[in-house]
Amino acid sequence: MEKAERLQKLAQAVLEMDVEGIVPLVEDSLAAGLSPVEILAEGLSAGMRQVGERFKQGEIFMPEVLVSCDVYYRGLEILRPLIRQTGGGPVRGKMIIGTIYGDIHSVGKDVAVPVFQAAGYDVIDLGVDVPDERFVEAIREYEPDIVGLGTYMTSTFMHTRETVRVIEQAGLRDRVKIICGGPAVDPAAARRMGADDASDDAWEAVGKLDRLVEELRAARRSV
Amino acid sequence: MSEIVDAWVRRLKGKLRPIGEMTHWERMAAAFELRRSDLVPVAPELDYWQITYAGYSHAEIYNDVDKTTDACIRTWADLRTDAIWMYVDISHQIENFIPPEKRPEHFVHRGDKDYLLFKPVAKTIDEAIELYESRAYERYLEGSRAVTHYVPHMLQLLEFQEKMDRIVPVIVGIATPSNYAETLVEVQQFVRWTVTEPKKVKRYLDLALEERLAALDFYAEIARKHGLHFVCLFGGARTWGPRQLREFGYADEIFVQKAVKLFPYVFWHICGHNLPEAMQLLVQWDGIKAVQYDMPYYSQKLSWPEWCESVARLFAGKRCAMNSPTTQTACHGTPEDVRRMVREFLDATLPHTTAVVMPGCEVDSYSPVENVRAMIEEARRKPLP
Ligand code: B12
Ligand SMILES: [Zn+2]
Repeated sequence: MEKAERLQKLAQAVLEMDVEGIVPLVEDSLAAGLSPVEILAEGLSAGMRQVGERFKQGEIFMPEVLVSCDVYYRGLEILRPLIRQTGGGPVRGKMIIGTIYGDIHSVGKDVAVPVFQAAGYDVIDLGVDVPDERFVEAIREYEPDIVGLGTYMTSTFMHTRETVRVIEQAGLRDRVKIICGGPAVDPAAARRMGADDASDDAWEAVGKLDRLVEELRAARRSV
Repeated sequence: MSEIVDAWVRRLKGKLRPIGEMTHWERMAAAFELRRSDLVPVAPELDYWQITYAGYSHAEIYNDVDKTTDACIRTWADLRTDAIWMYVDISHQIENFIPPEKRPEHFVHRGDKDYLLFKPVAKTIDEAIELYESRAYERYLEGSRAVTHYVPHMLQLLEFQEKMDRIVPVIVGIATPSNYAETLVEVQQFVRWTVTEPKKVKRYLDLALEERLAALDFYAEIARKHGLHFVCLFGGARTWGPRQLREFGYADEIFVQKAVKLFPYVFWHICGHNLPEAMQLLVQWDGIKAVQYDMPYYSQKLSWPEWCESVARLFAGKRCAMNSPTTQTACHGTPEDVRRMVREFLDATLPHTTAVVMPGCEVDSYSPVENVRAMIEEARRKPLP
């Protein structure tokens, strides 16, 4: 099998929710000499991008998206240790993400995390109902570029102000960019509360993450 | 007989200034029956919001039925919306699936205005099936909040409705099989299993349906004895795709067929990003009189008026449309934003069918009072065609 063909099969497996088939497919590709980074970036992640396109076209829906995410993860589990050994592939940025305090919605985050990973972000998931102090600890521990706040209700979106304040008080605000996500968010309202941006669409949010990381790096350079 | 209800009846009966020519009840009934009313009804789902509006905290009412009922009536007496929504929270729905000693782990209270947090009752589909097969919900019913809080609160509000000679209807919410099935295990697990474990999902839904059909018998008794007329069916299935609706929609459909025979005014609650296919199903399910719907599905690039108009056309001659403003605008928007959204909804809807002004889901506790007032005023101001 040609390399291009293998990569396409990997992407296809993600898109077609092949929960059983993905592991042998990744293993075969490795055995055939494809690098873990290639398999991830041009195979599995390409599949996740197609999932996004199909979702936006209304060709597939949330249940299918979630199972595609699971397939992506199964593949990623095999590749991650290998990628670490070889010094890692290109990383666009590091992000911590969690559902904000008082909120237990997780479907959106479960979709957003693999989308961001597939786009080349190193994402650390802090879970749901995350206390503000936990974000502070995680910023110290992981030194991310981006803090992602999953805010799925109007009231918990408004809690952003509080989370930002606690990060500020810890003296960490300048080190990170903060973005909110969820169905009830609004970029202007997010900025008013001290965050940097917001998005209700994970695929669109990737562009925003890229821009925020660039801004952060520019600010770091100018210091 | 409830003292709190009697006190309110003494204070209000015969002393309320009329709003329009119809009573609140007549106005709602007319909209549901697709008849012309004097004014556009407005009936926001005030749920948690009314508790703090009336000056209580959630912790304070959690175990106090009288205060819960007091909050609902006090808020209504002040705002004079066209219906009173009973207060419900998630513990009413699922506590009777949980053994008493485990309940504290499942529910977490936060701030005075915050929603109750809860943890799922089962982690796997097999566990979930087992919960139903072992009839956990019957074993743990006694002493659960369904019995200690929900039912007595509902009966008090219905007593108020009847003693006030039905000038204002009380809306009682009943969750559908899909809603129960999803809530017990978490939606994201449930929808995954619709793809990976369709047979087990069917078994699980059948069990949820059986329990819900039995629950309807209980509500039928309430209707006979206490005058339950207006029922909101809280649908689950809000993140399903068309395939799931086709394969698993049957459980809710069977449930609806029974519910509409028991109560005269049944409407469906479908919040979130609504799939066009789901709206079409709701037009086919006979007997539902109105639909409280929400935002368009992600892939539909429609403006608010376009979305409202497309739904109104679909509903023409069949359903009353209930919407606007969104819960988001009710909370973050200005009163002017709220007014605009209500106007856009009514302008798009009234040429095709009747309307009730209310957001697609419950009004968030943090929504400013001015926004709720703006919603009511704007509805009252709208001349009917
Ligand atoms: C499923 C659901 C539930 C499930 C949640 C299961 C779970 N584990 O997640 C259950 C039934 C448990 C639930 C509970 C409640 N819910 Co709910 N729920 C929904 C519903 C219908 C769908 C959410 C969903 O999964 N969408 C699909 C995902 C993929 O979309 P998404 O979340 O928008 O995520 C996308 C983007 O936003 C983005 N994204 C997501 N996260 C992030 C993070 C970052 C950093 C970025 C950049 C992007 C990003 O990527 C995703 C893909 O594009 C929504 C309606 C809606 N409009 O979404 C209501 C909704 C969120 N719920 C609501 C409410 C009120 C509640 C309850 C309070 C109900 C109650 N009375 O108990 C409780 C909450 C309890 C609590 N304290 O948290 C309201 C909130 C109202 C408001 N505006 O405040 C909503 C909006 C319904 C409505 N009214 O329209 N709910
Ligand atoms: Zn809702």
